[in-house]
Amino acid sequence: MLLLGAQFVRLGAPPPEAAGELVAAPSVDAVLRSACFDCHSNHTRWPWYGYVAPFAWLLEHDVSAGRARLNFSQWDAYASDPETAHHKLEEIRAAVAGGQMAPWYYRLLHADARLTATQRDLLIDWARSAGSPPPS
Amino acid sequence: MTNSTLATGWWMCATRNRRRRIGAACAAMLASAVVAAASDAPVFELTLANGRFEPSQLTVPADTALQLRVTNNDTAAIEFESFELHRERVVQPGETITVYLPALKAGAYPFFDDFHSDTPPGSIVSK
Repeated sequence: MLLLGAQFVRLGAPPPEAAGELVAAPSVDAVLRSACFDCHSNHTRWPWYGYVAPFAWLLEHDVSAGRARLNFSQWDAYASDPETAHHKLEEIRAAVAGGQMAPWYYRLLHADARLTATQRDLLIDWARSAGSPPPS
Repeated sequence: MTNSTLATGWWMCATRNRRRRIGAACAAMLASAVVAAASDAPVFELTLANGRFEPSQLTVPADTALQLRVTNNDTAAIEFESFELHRERVVQPGETITVYLPALKAGAYPFFDDFHSDTPPGSIVSK
């Protein structure tokens, strides 16, 4: 009964409207969308268990935390302080190179997030070049 | 064929190095424009010393772009971060950085040191 009632409890809020999404080359954009956007954009593709409590609560928590840290749908907000955008790109490069992103538990359930060596190199290369130090 | 289709086709045909150079140039131009536009904005100071932000609550005018100068007077690097302000910057010991902020709506915008969870968070209050 408790589990049944829990299905009607939704946490979190709808994502904010996109305010200047990241623009990247099509090849980079495709990898970001398939591997990163579920947690780091306003374009989350919710899986079926994303509608079943208590899994839905855990998922919403992870997505909210992911968006707070990095939201590609609000990239213009970072870019209005060039050093912040540079820092975000450096963190993306380090996380992808170090294998911390996507997280292992996410990769278990999402084949799209398992980056090939080519995809990993593409993202690292992009983050490094796009993240060149801003003019002082 | 639309302009955007032509542009996408051109982008896909461009060599990888050329795309990289063009992307970097566009980013640099955008960054220069952003900094130039914001450099006349009023300046507010925030200092970290002895593991505390001072002031812990900084009041700023609403609807006004501003510059926030963050000084780290501690002995370890800090990461000034605010989810609400979309800002994340590392500040080395003894360093002062300038964070550009857009015109803020009235409200409270929390910030914290992401490198030190024991540092009490602060907030920028826009009135």
